[in-house]
Amino acid sequence: MISVALVGNPNTGKTSLFNALTRSYEYVGNWAGVTVEKKVGVLLDKRGELVDLPGVYSLSPLSKDEAVTTEYMLQSAPDVVLNVVDASQIERNLHLTLQLAEYGHPLVIALNMTDVAEGRGLKIDPARLSALLGATVVPVIARTEKGCVELLQEIVQPGAHPTPAKVDYGPLLEAAIAKLEARIPEQPRAGRWLALQFLEGNETVAEWLKTLFPAEWLERFYRTTESDIAAQTNCRGLPQYIRERRAERIKDILEACCQRTRTESSSLSEKLDALATHRWLGIPIFLLFMYLTFKLTFDWFGTPISDRLDALLSGPVSTGLARLLQQLGAADFIQAVVLNGIVAGVGGVLVFVPQIFMLFLIISFIEDSGYMARIATVMDKLMEGAGLNGKTFIPMIIGFGCNVPGIMAARTIEQPRERLLTILLTPLMSCSARLSVYSLFVGVFFQSHKAIIVFSLYVLGVVVALALAKLFSRTLARNEASMFVVELPPYRIPQWKTLARSTWEKGKGFVRKAGTFIFGGSVLIWLLSYTGIRGWNVPIDQSFMRAIGSGVAPILEPLGFGNWQAGAALITGFLAKEVVVSTMGIIYATSSEASLQQTLGLFFTPLQAYSFMVFILLYVPCLATVGVIRKETNSAKWTWFSVGYALIVAYLLALLIYRVGLLLGFH
Amino acid sequence: MMALTEMRRGSKGKVVDLGSVSMLVRRRLCDLGVTEGAVVSVRKMLPFGGPCTIESNGQWIAIRRKEAQAMRVEAL
Repeated sequence: MISVALVGNPNTGKTSLFNALTRSYEYVGNWAGVTVEKKVGVLLDKRGELVDLPGVYSLSPLSKDEAVTTEYMLQSAPDVVLNVVDASQIERNLHLTLQLAEYGHPLVIALNMTDVAEGRGLKIDPARLSALLGATVVPVIARTEKGCVELLQEIVQPGAHPTPAKVDYGPLLEAAIAKLEARIPEQPRAGRWLALQFLEGNETVAEWLKTLFPAEWLERFYRTTESDIAAQTNCRGLPQYIRERRAERIKDILEACCQRTRTESSSLSEKLDALATHRWLGIPIFLLFMYLTFKLTFDWFGTPISDRLDALLSGPVSTGLARLLQQLGAADFIQAVVLNGIVAGVGGVLVFVPQIFMLFLIISFIEDSGYMARIATVMDKLMEGAGLNGKTFIPMIIGFGCNVPGIMAARTIEQPRERLLTILLTPLMSCSARLSVYSLFVGVFFQSHKAIIVFSLYVLGVVVALALAKLFSRTLARNEASMFVVELPPYRIPQWKTLARSTWEKGKGFVRKAGTFIFGGSVLIWLLSYTGIRGWNVPIDQSFMRAIGSGVAPILEPLGFGNWQAGAALITGFLAKEVVVSTMGIIYATSSEASLQQTLGLFFTPLQAYSFMVFILLYVPCLATVGVIRKETNSAKWTWFSVGYALIVAYLLALLIYRVGLLLGFH
Repeated sequence: MMALTEMRRGSKGKVVDLGSVSMLVRRRLCDLGVTEGAVVSVRKMLPFGGPCTIESNGQWIAIRRKEAQAMRVEAL
């Protein structure tokens, strides 16, 4: 098997191509920075392994996700480099292509989005481009998989690859390159590539070279070369000089193989942007969009279907199972664990699948349409006020689906301080698991205002995150300039296939979690409520569960939900927030949502329910999120901090809301 | 020569000097093909000193107002 590395500028369709070439379903979207870690798949013809890497503009990394790509190129030695080039932005894309040609391994270019380029009046001759670059060039349209078969054939053709062409950097720099190259021992990457990357200021490569040469020698070499070049040209530094030489070469290449039939006119994107990034309406439009999302999720679509699913589960499914178990002569214990444990626990969570899929569909739409980068833009001013930048809002939106990928998405943020703050604050974004808790409670207490109540919780999460960002950036994280540069990709109408696929990929995790984690959790919780110090099958009032819940209940009393059931649900909710619903289903010993709702009505007042939901929103990141925070911050201190601050904030806010609510005469 | 933000909305200009733009932003802009000599136009300015969107070579980029003010351009 050969190994093939997939490299290209951000948002050029690398992952779309990866999916087409390996029949995978990796996460795709229409903004720069969707892929933040490397992914490996087997090529369709089973003759090679394809590695999908985060998008980069050049091989000198600025952010964490870009460093993944540079490190891969430095540590591994792929047999073939597959470079995805966005034909509509070919000039900028070729800067990376030239660096990849210097890498010295066979280079295959997938010329993507040729349809978009032609729409803009740009025609590229693949044969000429191929000859000029010394690389195989295959035009493709990754979204529709056009050209993928030909591309696959070109990749695996052994020995048929041309030698990549070289750029002439002028006698002075060429001499310096040769000098360094001669000293680098034989190894899988071309010495010329290493020398050039070093001279270009690539810090990852510089670190690597320091294992071969003394650091002072390298520094002296760099400075001498730079001053030699500066004496001859008016360039500010080596990076600029190298870039300009490449730009000249690219200009020559494009002149020889491109035809511009017309310059472009105002496009549909521009008209849509007039609205989406409107001076005054930008943020209101985004809020309206989110509000409509909840209307769709609750009032118009999700809840009606959810109710039907619930009727099915609590009616025919439960009674059917009960009858079946009786006919099989199952022991009482087995009957109880299935009906009161699994059906109540897992079923209680599964009924919210319609709402959650609806939410995922809309998030997928935001991701695939190109609206994401616009949201980042309109939010920038607000985020800057909080010590962050607009780009940090992207992980937060992803966090609305699930906090784990949201925190991973923070890798695209260039500044370490802003990245850390984003990782710490993304757990405050209300994820889909919390949605199941809200669904249950608004269904009981806020029948006529479901969407607005849930919307208020989402907004509260964002507001708290911004306020804390302000606080943390002033106190904890040291000062560091904030930066914001974001590409606004052209809008495109998402394909149904892509939307359906990415909705399913996100939703699948929720369903799978119900089948594994929540299944196991439900059995455990049921067991805790079935057993006590006095043995098996005790009344719930004497169970271990009650003992555990009673331990925390007094602390929660001031917040309005000092009953042991709420305490027990919150503790188990750390495993996954949906488990709160499962636990309540089991504790209140009901197998159907409808009767659980009636029971809840006896234990909570609407104000207490709202206070409880606020607490659920903020109290601690779930187990999986804590794991990813630990991994991404690489610090136990910040992981503990993320749990600790969340608990404190949740407590104070729930207290405030409950007490002020009481004073205002709510109950 | 003037600041990018002083350009008339929609008219084109040539980037002359990026020297006073912060280092990181300059590198990112450079990655996106906005270097000295590139042709740009201002498309939108968000209120309250919010970001400004520019167009260069068919691609749209949003940057902060402060950075846009530091970019020196020449009207074409």
